[in-house]
Amino acid sequence: MSKADTAALIIGGGIAGLETALKLGQGGYTVILAEKESALGGNVAKLHSSFPRWEDPQELIKVKQAELKTLPSVRVLANTEITGLQRQSGGFTAHWTDRATQKSGSLPVQALIFATGFELFNASVYGEYGYGIYKNVVNSLEFEHLLGMYEQRAIHVPESIAFFKCVGSRDRSKGFPYCSKICCMYTAKQAGLVKKISPDTQCYVFYMDYRASGKEYEEFVRQVIEERKVRYVRGRPSKVVLENDKLLVRFEDTLIGVPMEASVDLIVLASAVVPRPETLALARMLGLKTDDYGFVEPVYGSPVRIEERIFMAGGCGFAIESLGAIAQGAAAAAEVTALFNKSE
Amino acid sequence: MIETYAIRRPEAQESPIARQIREDLGIDVARCLECGKCTGGCSYAAGFDYTPRKIIQLVKLGEFDKLLSLDALWTCLSCQLCVDRCPSGINIPRIMDYLRARAHRANSNITHKNIEKFYEIMLSDIKNRGRISETIMMIKYNLAIKNLFANASFGKKLFLKGKLKFFSPRTHNIKTIQPLFRRLSEKDGQA
Ligand SMILES: Cc1cc2nc3c(=O)[nH]c(=O)nc-3n(C[C@H](O)[C@H](O)[C@H](O)COP(=O)(O)OP(=O)(O)OC[C@H]3O[C@@H](n4cnc5c(N)ncnc54)[C@H](O)[C@@H]3O)c2cc1C
Ligand code: SF4
Ligand code: SF4
Ligand code: SF4
Repeated sequence: MSKADTAALIIGGGIAGLETALKLGQGGYTVILAEKESALGGNVAKLHSSFPRWEDPQELIKVKQAELKTLPSVRVLANTEITGLQRQSGGFTAHWTDRATQKSGSLPVQALIFATGFELFNASVYGEYGYGIYKNVVNSLEFEHLLGMYEQRAIHVPESIAFFKCVGSRDRSKGFPYCSKICCMYTAKQAGLVKKISPDTQCYVFYMDYRASGKEYEEFVRQVIEERKVRYVRGRPSKVVLENDKLLVRFEDTLIGVPMEASVDLIVLASAVVPRPETLALARMLGLKTDDYGFVEPVYGSPVRIEERIFMAGGCGFAIESLGAIAQGAAAAAEVTALFNKSE
Repeated sequence: MIETYAIRRPEAQESPIARQIREDLGIDVARCLECGKCTGGCSYAAGFDYTPRKIIQLVKLGEFDKLLSLDALWTCLSCQLCVDRCPSGINIPRIMDYLRARAHRANSNITHKNIEKFYEIMLSDIKNRGRISETIMMIKYNLAIKNLFANASFGKKLFLKGKLKFFSPRTHNIKTIQPLFRRLSEKDGQA
């Protein structure tokens, strides 16, 4: 068999899927990269600045995308959602729908890579925070969009902003028991970026503890607290009430142990990272193992191999930062390379 | 609230009171994340000597005597807000009920004797009549705390609005209430 007879389908064109496509394409393997949105890049393409070195995520996507265009064996299908999967001998049949034209069809492939990413928990479950009720309570991805507008001076930066961490995470009664891993870091980034654009804006970050266990992560959070002057308050906010045009946040400062309140213009909720329901639906069609929440699971011993010919990369496995997603994307490409060389 | 900081030596294992609360009420304080969401939302924390999160902490530390003499046991409104907010579903007012009953039985240093009296009178009224007559209760309560005119102006307002009746009849089916109390006192005897 030649490289042209075996094709890998990558489901999802976020940073993880992009990396897998790049590495396989550079090796000359036939790759189909299906992305349901009109543009590649997934969540990373929506970010403004990145931890831990204030890098530019959109630039990163641009560079990767430009490189992808130079690779003849990679076919990018934008607006294309993978809606069904069936196992065939030696591979799979994948069903797709073009979201722009509503056309649909199927294609045969010899390997599958889930790179479908994650979404954010719907924070309106917390009546006490007013998400979906008060217009100035937003989730962290919506806030990335606002950050872009602040940077371009398209809108005013508010006088005061409160960031709530662990919204839906570390909550067994209304959310999930797990920690979403990335929100401590991106909240520090978001608050720190606000202070860079508008040093007079008061920024509060409400935290139970901050988790900063990557290279340069601790230093990054300390920089945001000490140099950018973001005020970290230890306590989980309990209630938000509307007070004229302002939002009043009730909480306990758990270090001194007394109830307190803060009046702010905007609240940003670091909502839990949750799997996309579509990913779970696809996994079920193949009878794949997922965890209790619906994240796909690799076998013990490999970061990315789920089953024979089926791999994963990035946020569909669990919350992960962009560099981790890239690492898994590359690992998935290595697995596919090994597989295709074995079958040849 | 000014505290002195005598150095304590907490045990590493589950404290006896934490264990009793787990066994008797099925509430495990080890689930507490120490986040303070209970206190931040509490209807009356500003009037507590120890706020809800700190009460859970006292349970963990096994500070039994302190727990029984808490002012907050008697001022908690049982409004359930903290339970609704708690990410670990810890039922703090249920723990408060439990500690209140134990404080009452142990005849410990209760800071709000009159609130304790109020509970006693209210429960004996329910036991004997199946329901409360607010007016009779108020009179009994004022007699008990030796202040005949306590809450008199408030009582007048309620009366004028038709919220207070001079007389309210006994429940028809008092027979269903009494076994309840019997069962409870049997349980009490065991505990
Ligand atoms: C608010 C916020 C801020 C962040 N800030 C940072 C930061 O500063 N630094 C950092 O390193 N990381 C940050 N992250 C994390 C970063 O976004 C993730 O690491 C990254 O998005 C993971 O990439 P991914 O490719 O796995 O998933 P995604 O970005 O979710 O991409 C998955 C793609 O798959 C597509 N897809 C899904 N299902 C299908 C289907 N059935 N068919 C076709 N296509 C499909 C989706 O449309 C999407 O484009 C942040 C995350 C959030 C939420
Ligand atoms: S990463 Fe931080 S904010 Fe996110 S769930 Fe974990 S502790 Fe909470
Ligand atoms: S039940 Fe008691 S402790 Fe809980 S919120 Fe109400 S007053 Fe506060
Ligand atoms: S809200 Fe629950 S978990 Fe948080 S401090 Fe109070 S009891 Fe503990």
